[in-house]
Amino acid sequence: MSDITAPIAEAALRPGRWGFRLSVLLGVAGVVVLAISVAAVLVAGVGVWGNNIPHVWGFDLIAYAWWIGIANAASLFAAILVLRRHGLRTAVNRFAEAAALAAILSAAFYPILHLGRPWLFYWTLSYPNRMELWPQFGSALVWDFWGIMSHVVVTSLFWFIGLIPDLATMRDRAAARGRIRAARAYGLLALGWRGSVVHWHRHQAAYRLVAALVLPLLLWAQTVVALEFATTLVPAWHQARLPLHVVVTGLPSGLGIVLALAAVLRLALSLERFIDDADMDLLARLVACAGLAAGLAYAHELLIGFLEEDGTTRAALKARVLGAGAPAYWGAVLLSAVLPQILWFSRLRCRTAIVIPVGLLAAAGVWLDRWSIVVDGLLRDHLPSMSRGYTPSPAEWGLLGGTIALFVLVLLLFGRLVPAVSMFETRHEESEAEAEEEER
Amino acid sequence: MSHPPPYGLMAEFSGAEAMTEAVRAARAAGWARLEAYSPYPVPEAAEALGVSAAPVGYIALAAAAVGAAISAGAAWYVSVHLYPVNVGGRPLNAWPVFMPTTYLVAILWACAAALIGMLALNGLPRLHHPAFFARGFQRASEDRFFLFLSAEDPLYDTEETARFLRGLAPLRVSEVRSS
Repeated sequence: MSDITAPIAEAALRPGRWGFRLSVLLGVAGVVVLAISVAAVLVAGVGVWGNNIPHVWGFDLIAYAWWIGIANAASLFAAILVLRRHGLRTAVNRFAEAAALAAILSAAFYPILHLGRPWLFYWTLSYPNRMELWPQFGSALVWDFWGIMSHVVVTSLFWFIGLIPDLATMRDRAAARGRIRAARAYGLLALGWRGSVVHWHRHQAAYRLVAALVLPLLLWAQTVVALEFATTLVPAWHQARLPLHVVVTGLPSGLGIVLALAAVLRLALSLERFIDDADMDLLARLVACAGLAAGLAYAHELLIGFLEEDGTTRAALKARVLGAGAPAYWGAVLLSAVLPQILWFSRLRCRTAIVIPVGLLAAAGVWLDRWSIVVDGLLRDHLPSMSRGYTPSPAEWGLLGGTIALFVLVLLLFGRLVPAVSMFETRHEESEAEAEEEER
Repeated sequence: MSHPPPYGLMAEFSGAEAMTEAVRAARAAGWARLEAYSPYPVPEAAEALGVSAAPVGYIALAAAAVGAAISAGAAWYVSVHLYPVNVGGRPLNAWPVFMPTTYLVAILWACAAALIGMLALNGLPRLHHPAFFARGFQRASEDRFFLFLSAEDPLYDTEETARFLRGLAPLRVSEVRSS
């Protein structure tokens, strides 16, 4: 059975190839851009962004809602796989969790930076202070603070609990090859795991419990972002359906990214045996389903907006759909809802060259939808002094590009330092398959 | 130089079935201080050892209740006593708007408690354990299954116990020293 563990563990233990080193280098360069963009905001203030009145939110909220959507769909996917004990979970849930974690790290930059004085972010915590100032628990901003923090901590815990036994395997393999320093590092992180049957039993209970708790948390994390919009008076935002819209349209982005990542991992780490064609097939069909759900959400938006809402909402929606905002709106519909439908064709969904761009473009489409809501929702304002447009500045582009680079870099390092596929679950699954064959 | 005292005997098996059978046999023979090791979860063996995972859930539930109570209590105390803000005459104790943070903190505490409780019940983290002295034990994290009978058990007798373990058809039986 060590032919199961070996290829996965080797991917983490063997020296890096030039392609990997080049990718890391590019990732690091992108993170330098991120650092410069963050420094610009810290030194000069949010004035370096294109935000103005009425466009108080721009890239900061677009990218935040987008990253949270990616994180949500990726961890929703991982949690459901763990809970359903689905065969696919052995192959893809580890890096779906890692993708969720990396996406939240990227998301966390935006709400903190857009505070204006980011170094005072801890004022949203309730703690006794000399100013006798306390946060407002009725504020969506305070909910958001707790939402992001719980999201970061719970996703990290979910990922780490599943990783503990695999870190122990890495420790033993590194020790067997005489790499004592690597063995010590993995050993410390494995917390002294020795594979006791009793420990496994409790470990599985804790893993499944946290997976179950991730589900209600996810719905809430995305809903809070949307509630912040819905509690304002901007016509396009002030709708009870917004939380549902943001949750549902978030699905193609996260699942698309997981699909593209699975395809890249198969190629780059030669894990075709562990992420097999059936896995890719199922994942691609899930992305197509998510696209369908997003399509329904867009249709619902039009139906409710044009048939039921009042005149101001209708005017705002008209400006988004038919006016100057049309490219972003229809781009979102095309990329996140229509394009994924080609994955229903089995000839197309088994080809890496098709699957990777479709997955990434679905995520890009969701980004366009966030742009359409945040920026183009304000296209039609009702005071002449407020008809200013919004153009993102280089500092904002730097922040977006930089967080994407951070996401890629974190995933590259995950793929390199820890097993990309859960080893203990693969062992378990293959032993079950062998037992079934013997019975036959 | 005297030998360190024996810690117990370790039997190595090639499959989960053989190890589970061995655990059942040892339990039937009256062994109480025993441990089994496997590279992946073996629920049947855990059942034979008579362990329940329910305490992990109870710990998480209790933590969720405590976290929720602290969060809701803090929101109420801050909003009503420490920093009352009159927003258009709305009541200070507006408990529905305290629920989002209460809900999030309850989940946060439950997840942290599930991990910490699982580790505490397992006696982890620890830097070392005598089981790692057993020959070939590093394969317990890869493809081998082990049954360990502790020297602290009243039934323990080096010769007698080794004979008992060999009767279970293991790949090998080795003595584990405590240091």
